[in-house]
Amino acid sequence: MKEFPSTPTSLLASYEASDFFDEMFSSTGEPRPHYRQLHSRLADMTAEAFNERRGDADISFLYQGITFTVYGQKTEGIERIFPFDLIPRIIPAEEWSVVERGLTQRITALNQFLFDIYHDQRILKDKVIAPELILGAKHFRREMMGINVPKNVYAHIVGTDLVRDDQGKYLVLEDNLRSPSGVSYMLENRQAMKRTFATLFQRYGVRAIEHYPQELLHTLRSVAPRDNPDATVVLLTPGIYNSAYFEHAFLARQMGIEIVEGRDLVTHDNRVYTRTTKGLKPVDVIYRRIDDDFLDPLAFNSMSTLGCSGLLNAWRAGNVTLANAVGTGVADDKAVYAYVPAMIRYYLSEEPILENVPTYLAMHEKDCQFILDNLDKLVVKAVNESGGYGMLVGPHASAAERETFRGLISSNPRNYIAQPIVRLSRHPTYLDGELHGCHIDLRPYILCGEKITIVPGGLTRVALRSGSLVVNSSQGGGSKDTWVLND
Amino acid sequence: MLSRVAETLYWMSRYVERAEDITRILTVNFNTELDAKVQDSQDVWRPIISLTGDEKLFSSHFDEYSARTVSEFLLWHSANQNAVTTCITLARENARSVREQISSEMWEHINRLYFLVRDLKREIGSRGPYEFFDQIRVGSQAFQGITNETMAHGEAYEFIQIGKHLERADKTVRIINVKYEAVNRLSGGPEVSLQLIAMLRSCSAFEAFRKTQASQLHAARVAEFLLLSQEFPRAVSYCLQRALRSVNLISGDGGSKRNLLSPQRTLGRICSELGYLEIDEVLDQNMHPYLDRLLVSLNEAGIEITRTYFNTQVIATAQHPPRQQQSQAQQ
Repeated sequence: MKEFPSTPTSLLASYEASDFFDEMFSSTGEPRPHYRQLHSRLADMTAEAFNERRGDADISFLYQGITFTVYGQKTEGIERIFPFDLIPRIIPAEEWSVVERGLTQRITALNQFLFDIYHDQRILKDKVIAPELILGAKHFRREMMGINVPKNVYAHIVGTDLVRDDQGKYLVLEDNLRSPSGVSYMLENRQAMKRTFATLFQRYGVRAIEHYPQELLHTLRSVAPRDNPDATVVLLTPGIYNSAYFEHAFLARQMGIEIVEGRDLVTHDNRVYTRTTKGLKPVDVIYRRIDDDFLDPLAFNSMSTLGCSGLLNAWRAGNVTLANAVGTGVADDKAVYAYVPAMIRYYLSEEPILENVPTYLAMHEKDCQFILDNLDKLVVKAVNESGGYGMLVGPHASAAERETFRGLISSNPRNYIAQPIVRLSRHPTYLDGELHGCHIDLRPYILCGEKITIVPGGLTRVALRSGSLVVNSSQGGGSKDTWVLND
Repeated sequence: MLSRVAETLYWMSRYVERAEDITRILTVNFNTELDAKVQDSQDVWRPIISLTGDEKLFSSHFDEYSARTVSEFLLWHSANQNAVTTCITLARENARSVREQISSEMWEHINRLYFLVRDLKREIGSRGPYEFFDQIRVGSQAFQGITNETMAHGEAYEFIQIGKHLERADKTVRIINVKYEAVNRLSGGPEVSLQLIAMLRSCSAFEAFRKTQASQLHAARVAEFLLLSQEFPRAVSYCLQRALRSVNLISGDGGSKRNLLSPQRTLGRICSELGYLEIDEVLDQNMHPYLDRLLVSLNEAGIEITRTYFNTQVIATAQHPPRQQQSQAQQ
């Protein structure tokens, strides 16, 4: 049989590794051992052949309506396909087991922190964290003080963002403890990969993630009021105009539970019910994807049309579980983030397995001066924003943008943190007919009920603009399938 | 099931059916116009607008009834809430908000229809109306088929069936109403046959009718077929029987007629009336008033269904619900 040499149209022909940490290639330019099979498959492939498979995957995403919405000034958002890159990110078993232990440790400490903050506040009394940082936080909820939640779990569903630096070390970039999204992309990406690269997938021995919806349902049931094993679980969505509505519908369908809007719910005698074609039906657990402020117009924002009047009272009476609980946002405040390693030492008496990215708090005078002096070198973030909004990437920003942030930081230092630019690892990614090294991160999803469950892998997000460090879907990012290998 | 979901499915189904019906009526009229040498085009196109009851709205935007103006009005005009584009867009919006209730295949398909009508003006310009009309009709029919084959035939499915059959019954009654009048005005000759064929084709009923009636086309027989057939899926009687069956499946028959819900009573009454009707009683000048009464009853049935199954809204609709929905942080 004739061997075809690698032609100039081969996908990898023009790939240039750089001084960033490259997931596929070692510093000598050799493919890393766990990438060898994928590498040789790609080397055999012409750009045309690859493009054809790519086209197939794109079309099926559009028809299935896997889109997200980008918000502008107008009421109507623009629907886009969330770009999906066909080159998978591969994580060997031993690497994953460290990440898994690190995340478990982190979430355990965070839940203990939330319990403590809403009860005795020992960590404040012991002066590990300054009280004003917590009690003045936007997402601290006085209404939660002294309330007990089932199994003492506050954050049931967590998405933690990890990055790798130029040495390949995993660092925690942020914890998302309110309504982490993106897990549906993780599941759909896997489907697309299995269709397009079936043989390769099979040969690699990739750990399954398809059981995520079942694990989620199990987690939600495990925190039902009064340990009711037949608890009725519903997913509370803001509605179809929300950017993540596709995901809400997807998860509800996968779990076989009802997806409800606030107007579907009614409370009576501190119990929550859904309105159905056959009358009212009781609800035990609500997986809610709306903010604390909008949950109950009687308790919080009285203008909210998304929540349900009386919900908070029903919850306080212990008749319904909210996942995540009210007030978890206090722990994913980007300034509080800086103290998570301290929490791990304080509550668990352990050293953190996963490190934080070094963080400067503008509320500390010394840090603040440092931040203002180095605006052109740092990434500045507003503490309560997510989705890549409200941030300044110093070296890429214009002088005017930096001056705007200088003003913002000086007038409200509590609201800003800064971090050195992490030289995020890169991964070969298909852009305009060739493979380029694009920056990536990783968001594993952690479920916390009776026990902590992490499906292997998570969502690998990739910055699709050349050189860009922002991977959020709303900022031109895409995603990849993440393959965690069997031992 | 959730009242909101039931209502959304019901309207999704009505809108798909409505888009298909309007498209079919337009197609037939393009054909009829080619044959109608003597008539001027006003007479061919005006009845289409009176059929949907939108004459006032139409004349506030257009000066004359022609193939161009009527098509534009029925296909994409922004003032027309029942334009094909609007119907498909609303059907998709409804489907989107209950995405988890319908099968993925249904959602994919309705998306495809949506992308088709979204570029409607350009498509018609490049490919001509016939191919486009065909695509809408086939698209809607495929949607019904996919619904039938991929979705569990439970409560949600029955609400879809109710929407489809009520909408279809309504459109068939309106088609008979307008076309029968046109036939009545003619004094016989080939034009009568042409109009009757158009009436049948507007309901995709020509071939089915021919199988039962091989003789000369008679207005009475055609009207009887479209009104009273128990076998033809677009006949009024058939549609209402089906809607009644769905309502009974949803609510049970209550054990006795005394325990029936109001939609069951309303639909049951109309079905009985049609079941015992002799077509001779409503021919000629009796047809129009009879069909008008029937439309009123159909409307009542729709209202009863809303009152019984959907009417649970207590929160007043907000000024800008989309803004609040968008503002929820999805981290």
